Amino acid sequence: MKSFRRFIDKIKPTFEKGGKLGMFHSTFDAFETFLFVPNKVTVKGSHIRDYIDMKRTMVIMIFALMPAMLFGMWNVGYEYTLSIGQSWTFWQNFWFGFLKVLPIIIVSYVVGLSIEFAFAQSRGHEVNEGFLVTGLLIPLIMPVDVPLWMVAVATAFAVVIGKEVFGGTGMNVFNPALLARAFIFFAYPAHISGDKVWVAGLSGGQGIIDGFSGATPLAKAAAYQIDKIPSVHDMFMGFIPGSIGETSTLAILIGAVILIITGIGSWKIMVSVFGGGMAAGLLFNIFAVNPYMQIPFWEHMVMGGFAFGAVFMATDPVSSSQTEKGKWIYGFLIGFMAILVRVFNPAYPEGMMLSILLMNAFAPLIDYYVVQANIRRRLKRAKQVANV
Amino acid sequence: MENLINIFIRSIFVDNMVFAYFLGMCSYLAVSKTVKTSTGLGIAVIFVMGITVPVNFLLNKYVLLPGALSWLDPSFATLDLSFLSFIMFIAVIASMVQLVEMIVEKYSPSLYSSLGIFLPLIAVNCAILGGSLFMQEREYSTLGEATTFGLGSGIGWFLAIISIAAIREKLKYSDIPRPLRGLGIAFILTGLMGIAFMTFMGIKL
Repeated sequence: MKSFRRFIDKIKPTFEKGGKLGMFHSTFDAFETFLFVPNKVTVKGSHIRDYIDMKRTMVIMIFALMPAMLFGMWNVGYEYTLSIGQSWTFWQNFWFGFLKVLPIIIVSYVVGLSIEFAFAQSRGHEVNEGFLVTGLLIPLIMPVDVPLWMVAVATAFAVVIGKEVFGGTGMNVFNPALLARAFIFFAYPAHISGDKVWVAGLSGGQGIIDGFSGATPLAKAAAYQIDKIPSVHDMFMGFIPGSIGETSTLAILIGAVILIITGIGSWKIMVSVFGGGMAAGLLFNIFAVNPYMQIPFWEHMVMGGFAFGAVFMATDPVSSSQTEKGKWIYGFLIGFMAILVRVFNPAYPEGMMLSILLMNAFAPLIDYYVVQANIRRRLKRAKQVANV
Repeated sequence: MENLINIFIRSIFVDNMVFAYFLGMCSYLAVSKTVKTSTGLGIAVIFVMGITVPVNFLLNKYVLLPGALSWLDPSFATLDLSFLSFIMFIAVIASMVQLVEMIVEKYSPSLYSSLGIFLPLIAVNCAILGGSLFMQEREYSTLGEATTFGLGSGIGWFLAIISIAAIREKLKYSDIPRPLRGLGIAFILTGLMGIAFMTFMGIKL
């Protein structure tokens, strides 16, 4: 390890400004800080120091995503065995899913990170850690049968148009992972919706036993086959077809606990998203005019991508509301809109992705009005004091 | 009543003038630098649309449509003046905008100066002429429906411009690549917001 450090130190001057390979400074810097703790110190101005920096935030976020990812891998194998009518051991299931999911993860990381490096290189700033999380989120919200080149194109779209044109990590208006999904959703709808894409190999159709349907619970609900929806227990544990990481509410809740304890995800947003969803569900329960509206409101929370969106997508600290009051409004509207789209919009079975994107667009406006209201209130108070 | 609510919600969200039809883009992109001025322009658009669409509706129904003039004299029953609709509609809109301009100049000189040339240019804002033409094309049957549609479309446009203005106020602090600063990023942003507004596509009320 020491000799490696010495080697890095030896080649470092080549990459400094004025060195022979000075133009690759940001690439070199990214690898160095990835391997070692940087020894840079602040030279002027006052700074507040603590242990949380962007790298650590992102790593904790990845830890929080681990349960959902590991469960997703196992579930890919499990759904496959159901479709071919066999039963495998735990490790066989997991290994099958691992081999299916790993290529998607690799493609998303390789494409995204090379674009990040290229932009950092050409614009002369440091490579940010932001893509570490986006690169894992993208595979988790894809169906398992998605073609790899589509993942590549969607990731490139999300990173370039969704993030880099706005100035990179921390400046984006929309959640890049959701933009990647929305891109595939509107550009290649056949590969991300329907009944065939959610279980590995089902679109190929070989060896599938008769009567097996790969439809998600949401698709069944939208078709009014309410009796065919899996039990709440199955949906909560995640033994259902769906995008890779979104099925198990339990695994997502473990991630939510990690995010809340470390303070990285805002609990206000999570609570208000669930609150908004339940409010919409209750409202529909009261005015139930079709079978979909009669689904008990708590079942909406465990179906589809609601929990995943609430915990990992809506809480994105960059694209969500920044003000504390704004977070309540923002989250509530996400939950409410998601259920509204599910029940009322026949074009989409799931509303979570689009409702988060929609509220991303409105988050700055919510912030603006919260700030203005605060300014008005304080001015009024100042006037009262002045009058006394 | 239910019908009116449907038209209202549809015209704000589902058939949003900006994100569904990309109408009225010029002032939408040019004035949306701060929330304050865009609120002013948005309210002006609501006002103009809320008045011109019902006025044009009456014009359409009693002057322009085939046989519409028969209330004047039975011999006009075969007369079809609908080829005049563009010119009539735009005349109504232009005079309405003049009125708004006078009101704004009188009561809010600061807003008047910050809107600048874009206030009189509302007259050629395609969203407003578009509103009247959609009213004609979709054949709204009563004055109430036309008014609701006009107000709803105006509110949809208002919502679009203040939301992009809030984002652009935030983007002032972003390190956007030099060639994209200003209009370039606004175009990209509008496209992405269009994706977000796809949420409402396909909703049947």
